[in-house]
Order: sequence, then structure tokens, then C-alpha cells
Amino acid sequence: MAASKGAVVLKTVKKIVVKFCPFESSVRSTRDFLVLVGSEKARATNMNCEVITEVKHDRSEPVIDITFIDGEQLVMNGSNLTTQEMLSALQTRCVAKDPQAKAGGKK
Amino acid sequence: MAATLCSRILLTKPGCLPLAQSVRHGSKAVTRHRKPMHILKQKLLAVTEYIPPKPSAAPGAYPSQTKRMEQESGLVRFLKKKVETTFEECKMLVVVQNNATNAEDMLLLRHRLHKHDIAIKFFPNQVMRSYLPSSQYRNMLPLFIGQTVMFVSKEPKVKEMLRVLRSSPQMILLGGCIENTLLSREGILNYSRLPSITTVQGELVGGLTLMTSQTVSMLQRHPAHLSALLQQYIKQNQPGGTPESTAPETTPKTEGAAV
Repeated sequence: MAASKGAVVLKTVKKIVVKFCPFESSVRSTRDFLVLVGSEKARATNMNCEVITEVKHDRSEPVIDITFIDGEQLVMNGSNLTTQEMLSALQTRCVAKDPQAKAGGKK
Repeated sequence: MAATLCSRILLTKPGCLPLAQSVRHGSKAVTRHRKPMHILKQKLLAVTEYIPPKPSAAPGAYPSQTKRMEQESGLVRFLKKKVETTFEECKMLVVVQNNATNAEDMLLLRHRLHKHDIAIKFFPNQVMRSYLPSSQYRNMLPLFIGQTVMFVSKEPKVKEMLRVLRSSPQMILLGGCIENTLLSREGILNYSRLPSITTVQGELVGGLTLMTSQTVSMLQRHPAHLSALLQQYIKQNQPGGTPESTAPETTPKTEGAAV
């Protein structure tokens, strides 16, 4: 289940809060997203970024709340999204925020 | 380029060829290049194409389904047996998701949990999914998605386990089955906050004997105090009943005699 554009780079991300209820059936993509984002590689790209998980039991839908360094927030409802979609949404926004560093790295 | 030739056949008999017949002397039928088909001929050929009958089932279709069931390998069966024994033996089973813990973190965790006799078990999700629906734990099925680890122990030592888990931020407690009760994360936290059995028993006994102990303490006081209390009680309940106030005066006298 590797990401399509390589590793997840979290340089512009301040905080990621993942809330889900494990007894729901639509939680799979959220949990996979959490595994990808919480992996060592992703965390190594930004040691200041916190990945917080909340496990609830109130039949609510899984929600991923990402706060960027410049204050912007990205809230994703993970019940009908696949992991790839969520990851690409996050990565496009990261790239948009930090194009100089990315362009320099790619070249 | 085509010259028309009209030949007239003069026949007046009915049922014969028509009076005027024109034969257009046009292009030839047999040409050196491939002649494009007339549209009518194309349509006719398209409509009357041969469609071979599709076979209803491939010759190997049905037998292969039964073969699939038997392909459950020996390893899976062995793991299934292990899972069964684990479920039967252990009172406490907790499912935890791990987000890429290092090997050394895992080792530390294992060591700390081993001090409290909690074992860490890894079972493949496929095995769990094939075993759980047939057992009484089928509601635990949605927990086993992604990377999961199971902590099992014979004694429900929840507080120590929570303490150990707090030190490793990557392990996420999802839920578990403690003493045949399916609990969510909040349930497990509440369970850990419960007092021990002796304290609960003491509380119960204390609550039951509360009323009787109060009555005993009241009776053991000075009888004059008791009679005054009873008179006050009656006055409050029956504001107009003065003859009844004389009745309790006889009882403290008998108690005074008994004491």
C-alpha cells in the first residue's frame, strides 16, 4: 500500500488529529491513512508534527483534521474516501504550500 | 460513362415479363480492386452474422469451487487452533493498532508487559476473520483491520497494561474482550477505574447494614432521648393526633426496664 508519489512529506503540517470509531465498518481507509501518516518515514520528515489519535465509540464517522503551519485546516470525512484520495489531497496541499522547497528537491 | 440500353419486349400476354425493362449497363461485378459492398448487402450480412452458442459453464468451473475450500493450508488450520486455545484460556484480550513501531520499541514493550504476565500475540487478519464469525466473538470482527496486535493475559490486569501503553504513543487501543464482555476503549478505561472486589464487597455490606446500624444506635441511646424523638416524629406526621402521643410513652418504660 505504498503512496503513489513516494513518501509522505509533512513539512508544512503542524498537527494531524484522526478520530474514528473502530466498530464502524467504514473505518478501513482512515486506519490505513493513519498507518501511512504515522509511520517512521513520515514522522521523520517533520519531528514537530504531532499525530494524535482519538478512539471513540459513538458510531460517528471517521474524521481527519489536519492543521497546517500557516493556519489552514483540512478536514476530511473518511467514511467514503479511499486512502489514496485522502493522501493525494494532503500531498497536493502540501506541495502547493511549499512549492519552492519541493521544486528544488525534485530538480 | 455508362450507356443505357433499353430493350423493349413487346409482349401483351398477362403474367409475363413487363412491357418495359431497362438494363443499366454499368460497372462490372468482377473488378480488379476490392469493390465496396452495397449498403443493403452490408446490412444483410451484419444482421445474419453467425453467433456461436456460448457454453453455459466452463468444463472445470464447478469442481474448482470445492477445491478452493480444501486449499486451507495446514498453517492456517494450526493458527486457527492456536487462536481458539488463546481465546479459551485468556480472560483478557485487547486489540491494539500499531503504527510502525520499531523493533526495539516492540522489545521494550514486550519486556514490560511480560513482567505482568501479558503476552503479545500476532495473528494474521485472514485467520481471525475466518475463525471469529463461527465463535461467540463475532462482534469483534470489525476491529481486525489493518495492522493489529493482540495483548492476551489470563488475569485482567488492565491498569498496568494502560500504564505501559501510555509510554508508547504509537500503540492505539481499539477495544477488547475482558471476561467475556466486549468493551470499547472507554469501557476498558472505566473497567480499570473500578475498585477491587474486596472494596466493592465492603461497600455493599456497609450499604445493607446502614439502616439496621442506624436503628441500633438510636435504640442504644438514653431512652428519654428516644421517647422525645418518637413523640416529635408523631407530632410531625399527625398534627391533630394528641391521644397517640401517650402511646409511645409506655414503650420506653419497658425498654428502660429491659436495659
